[in-house]
Amino acid sequence: MDFLRSIAIAASGLRAQAGRMRIIAENVANADSTAPTTGAEPYRRKVSSFKSEIDRALDAQTVALGRVKTDPSEFRLKYEPGHPAADANGNVKYPNVNSLVEMMDMREAQRSYEANINVITASRRMIQRTIEILKS
Amino acid sequence: MWTPSAAANAYASLARLTDPQQGLTRARGEGSSSPSFAAMLKEAVNSINQTSRAADMQTQAMAAGKANIVDVVTAVAETEVAIDALVSVRDKVISAYEEIMKMPI
Repeated sequence: MDFLRSIAIAASGLRAQAGRMRIIAENVANADSTAPTTGAEPYRRKVSSFKSEIDRALDAQTVALGRVKTDPSEFRLKYEPGHPAADANGNVKYPNVNSLVEMMDMREAQRSYEANINVITASRRMIQRTIEILKS
Repeated sequence: MWTPSAAANAYASLARLTDPQQGLTRARGEGSSSPSFAAMLKEAVNSINQTSRAADMQTQAMAAGKANIVDVVTAVAETEVAIDALVSVRDKVISAYEEIMKMPI
């Protein structure tokens, strides 16, 4: 039935957004994870991507989380001479995570999740309204 | 994750049964290859049983902390729709039967 298929497709969207949320959580949690020693790199921001997948059983294109890539942009430098990871000039590399960008991403994930939930709710309501015809 | 829906099966069997060309006439006994209402009901109940078992398994897995909540919700919604459809069909059939029984002879 088409309605159940649309529910399944929207569910794939929910899963994808949940995965994106997980990556955002990683980024936010690691916003201050510096390298343990001088030479090493701190945490590098992860970027999620989505790809459409053909679901043979559903005969439709569902969405899935694509490969998680890292953000190649530069690290933040902070002057902290006492830090174990400080270089010769006393600078410490901090992760290239911008919490404002992460917040915006999180809002976007939240809204997309809600949109998919709305698709599920609407499909369910349509099924139920149709079945109600039988009841009257 | 998409399983052939029990409700769709029920609809299909019902459509076969109520098709004036072959359903009811043959259910009366002329050419007995088409299913009777009892067989159709049995088939529908069986397939709903399977769907609800899948939903139960998902719920148990979630209680054990293994399943994704999205899978649980979709499985339960599918079962709900199937059961709702079958119950409506059953109510309709029973009310038709009662209507016939009320007929003064």
